[in-house]
Amino acid sequence: MAQEEASVSQEFTGLSIDHPVYCYGQPQPPPVTSEGVIAIDITRNFLDAAATLEPGQLVKDGYFTLFESVGAIEIMDPKMDSGCLAPDESLDEDYDVTRPLLPAEVLGIIDQLLCLEMAWHLGYPLSQTLLTNVYIEAMLVPNPTTIKEADFIRGEGPRDPMFIVLRAYCLGLLKACLHVNERIKYEHYYEEEDFVTTTYHRSLLENIDDIEIRDEIMAAKRLVHSLRPKISDEMADALSFRLELRTAFLRAIELAELRSHWESLSLPWSQMKAIWEPINRSRHLGTPVPEAFSTKLQRRLASTMPPRPIVQPSFEETYEHFKKFFADGIDLLKILNYTDSQSLLNFVVTFQAQKPQPLVYIRTLLQWFLIQDMVVLGRVSIRQVLDDDLSIVALPCSRLLDPANDEVEAPHDTRFAIAHQMELFRQRVAPSYLDIFKALCQNRCRVRRALCHAIQDWETVQMDAEEIDQLLQVQLEEKPITYDGSTPAYSIPLSSWAYLYKVRLMEWIVQLGFELETYQPDEMAGMYWYLSYLAKTRAKHAERIKAFTVQRLNELRAHPFSNTAAMEATFTTSLSYLRATILDATSTLELADALSCLYTVLGRLRLIVPPPRPYSSDELRYEIRMKPFAPISLPRLPSYDNFVRLSAQHETSTAGLLDFAQRAVVNAKMGYDVLGKMGEKEAFTANAHERWLAGIKNCNKSGIAINIAVAAIRRALESGAAKEGGMAPGEQKVMVELPKPAKSYHEWWIVPKIVEKKS
Amino acid sequence: MAARVAELPAELKYIQYEHSLESQYLPAIRALISKDLSEPYSIYVYRYFLYQWGHLCFMALDPVDSSLIGVVICKLEHHASHSPPTRRGYIAMLAVAAPYRGHGVATVLVKKAIDAMAQKNADEVVLETEETNIPAMRLYERLGFLRSKKLHRYYLNGNSAYRLVLLLRHIDPDGHEDPNGAADLSLDDMDTAPR
Ligand SMILES: CC(C)(COP(=O)(O)OP(=O)(O)OC[C@H]1O[C@@H](n2cnc3c(N)ncnc32)[C@H](O)[C@@H]1OP(=O)(O)O)[C@@H](O)C(=O)NCCC(=O)NCCS
Repeated sequence: MAQEEASVSQEFTGLSIDHPVYCYGQPQPPPVTSEGVIAIDITRNFLDAAATLEPGQLVKDGYFTLFESVGAIEIMDPKMDSGCLAPDESLDEDYDVTRPLLPAEVLGIIDQLLCLEMAWHLGYPLSQTLLTNVYIEAMLVPNPTTIKEADFIRGEGPRDPMFIVLRAYCLGLLKACLHVNERIKYEHYYEEEDFVTTTYHRSLLENIDDIEIRDEIMAAKRLVHSLRPKISDEMADALSFRLELRTAFLRAIELAELRSHWESLSLPWSQMKAIWEPINRSRHLGTPVPEAFSTKLQRRLASTMPPRPIVQPSFEETYEHFKKFFADGIDLLKILNYTDSQSLLNFVVTFQAQKPQPLVYIRTLLQWFLIQDMVVLGRVSIRQVLDDDLSIVALPCSRLLDPANDEVEAPHDTRFAIAHQMELFRQRVAPSYLDIFKALCQNRCRVRRALCHAIQDWETVQMDAEEIDQLLQVQLEEKPITYDGSTPAYSIPLSSWAYLYKVRLMEWIVQLGFELETYQPDEMAGMYWYLSYLAKTRAKHAERIKAFTVQRLNELRAHPFSNTAAMEATFTTSLSYLRATILDATSTLELADALSCLYTVLGRLRLIVPPPRPYSSDELRYEIRMKPFAPISLPRLPSYDNFVRLSAQHETSTAGLLDFAQRAVVNAKMGYDVLGKMGEKEAFTANAHERWLAGIKNCNKSGIAINIAVAAIRRALESGAAKEGGMAPGEQKVMVELPKPAKSYHEWWIVPKIVEKKS
Repeated sequence: MAARVAELPAELKYIQYEHSLESQYLPAIRALISKDLSEPYSIYVYRYFLYQWGHLCFMALDPVDSSLIGVVICKLEHHASHSPPTRRGYIAMLAVAAPYRGHGVATVLVKKAIDAMAQKNADEVVLETEETNIPAMRLYERLGFLRSKKLHRYYLNGNSAYRLVLLLRHIDPDGHEDPNGAADLSLDDMDTAPR
């Protein structure tokens, strides 16, 4: 095989390398005469210039880029030249779209179209999916401008009933694709990475009204109903369900554009979910018609690509994907029930953490719901969301957030100054705040990359906020307080709010690193140490905010107002948020500590051995790994030496590290148990509580897995199956396996498995 | 597929590419690389690299008949999309003929390429590799590369990739030379360390 391929390739390259094709001596060029054109024969100049070159010498234009070289094609190479045919191959498809179709064949075609539709949703181009179908091609070319023209056969004349059914299905399918494509294009997504939006100049029934299409589907359903005696009830049901799916899909899309109440929007999604099961069960009634699909159709598309294979998931895969798609659609709509800013964030975080991640259309709907023209969920102003958030996090019942400030017109009034500064602040932070949500809507790899940029932005947000804090503390005549026995400090609430976000984003970056398998085994100890360091920073910072909040609450209680009860409630909300944050951060830091110790031990026992890495030093690798964090001034990235010292913990014995790991798991469990008992109000997980709770439970399970690993190491040390400083490769009786994130209880907690070596 | 060889033929020849070798080796290079690609590169892609950075291309040859066994193709350019700009080496293609894999041939080729790039003052060397390509990832990570990010659905077949980075020297974030390379030893921010 190797031989063959080499010779094929030589044949083509031979053309260009060994046998330069000299054009002179060939037929004379036609004389160029045209009005206004002065033709100059440059043959001589060309030959003279060419004569200065050696045969085979290469010349490169300075502007010829890698991009252009990749885009270039070679004529007569079948993988590059779209017109290159194998001997006896015909250029075009010769399938007859007018041939009669059996009901089972229509069903077979529809089911294959479902698979291709899913492949498109998964990110494969239309050219390799739906546009390989001859019926769709016939319907779209030439571009129909009326509903009548949108048919496989153009012109008047009677139609076979099965034609009418297949046509109605295709109408609904293509129109749905149009809407999906438009929605995705409108939102932030990555072309070719998430999705391919090109339609190769094919219009997906743009000129035809949805209502007309829905009428055709209805008519087809009635027709199927009337055919029941002839085609059997089973077959009639099977076809009807598929037509109904198309109607429901169009309806779901139409309603989603409204961004109104979730219950009314979710009806068609629930319908699709319900219909999907009988569709799956009736699949066996269909007869595949593979001839109706051809890669040759790609040659007619506006593309220079030679035909590439059809991408088609199996029906089983398609079934699972659509099932998840419909379930995600229903779940997603719940976001429209706005309760508070933190629940909104938790909704997005948990929704996007799902595995597999929701499909790109669902993710773009999520964006569409979230933010449009600075309005959140179609009805909440960004100001309200921000003020909610500031109130929950750091400023319950604060004068800074009093809407009445805006009414004050006297420039010397403190409230006037506050309103002005707060407006500056909101304008400054709104884009950065919304960017967090936008980042979270992307694919997981992009989330991590976007967050790496976001923390730099939040670094400056925090600094700008601090300036405003300082101006406001003068206006408010704030007195510094001593909150943890150190020097008196001001509350600096706005920059505190920003800092809390920044640290959380930093944690997410590290955690996504685990999820995306970015770290090598010998990096784990250090990365969990760093995670623990960040979580500890967040916990401490939340404690600081809490100290100021409690102080203000005590002041309120000392001087009760008429509306103290309502104010107490606002304080309670904020304090329960801080409590949940502190619990979450401390549980994270404990579990991260436990894993860091565990991995450190595995390094000491040489159960994890770093590769030789002759071209790199530990310090240089630290520089690359921590690059996103290096520009952050607070929390400052530890110097390399400190990092090593603190994660390697040479002064602690191995037994001590194992004890420590176990205690840390106990502490983490205490935290997670408390969190797990919280309701959605205390946990700020409205509309997302189940997903969030499942995550908490999985953190606890990860803790159990850590305990198992610690116990296994203890046993191995006692029995001599492993030894401090390692053993000769042959003697070691245990080894370490790192599970894939997807196979772990939680993608962010990669717990090593200690397994006996098979002798 | 041809069977794997148990042992390599004695002492492979490793040579640096140069333009005069084009007619002799380019077809074989293309054939070797194309075998593992779903979409072939046009001849212009190969020439793009080889014309400008032939000195960063190395070939492993059979000592007896001088046939091609393995090849690595690279480039080295200023990379300015980030501050500070760096001299960034890039390993564009690497392949070893299937029967000769697992004998360290690719390792030697990559080492030669890195050495050549380091000699030309490269600050870093980067590349992308498919997430499923375990042999390639192991090879690079053994030499000191680190996965810096994952690239979602990077390849036409829908697979994701990792960007692997090898830093050859410290890069000062502000773009000027680091006079003494002194690490910041201040411990104050370490007070918040967990233990
Ligand atoms: C990836 C690829 C280039 C590796 O080539 P290779 O010559 O087999 O690589 P090496 O022999 O240097 O390393 C492979 C293994 O051989 C081992 N090996 C055996 N003898 C060795 C020696 N003398 N020196 C170094 N390594 C040796 C290595 O330790 C390594 O073991 P591992 O599998 O545990 O990591 C090859 O598989 C290939 O061509 N794949 C298809 C193309 C491709 O994927 N290219 C990479 C795109 S980025």
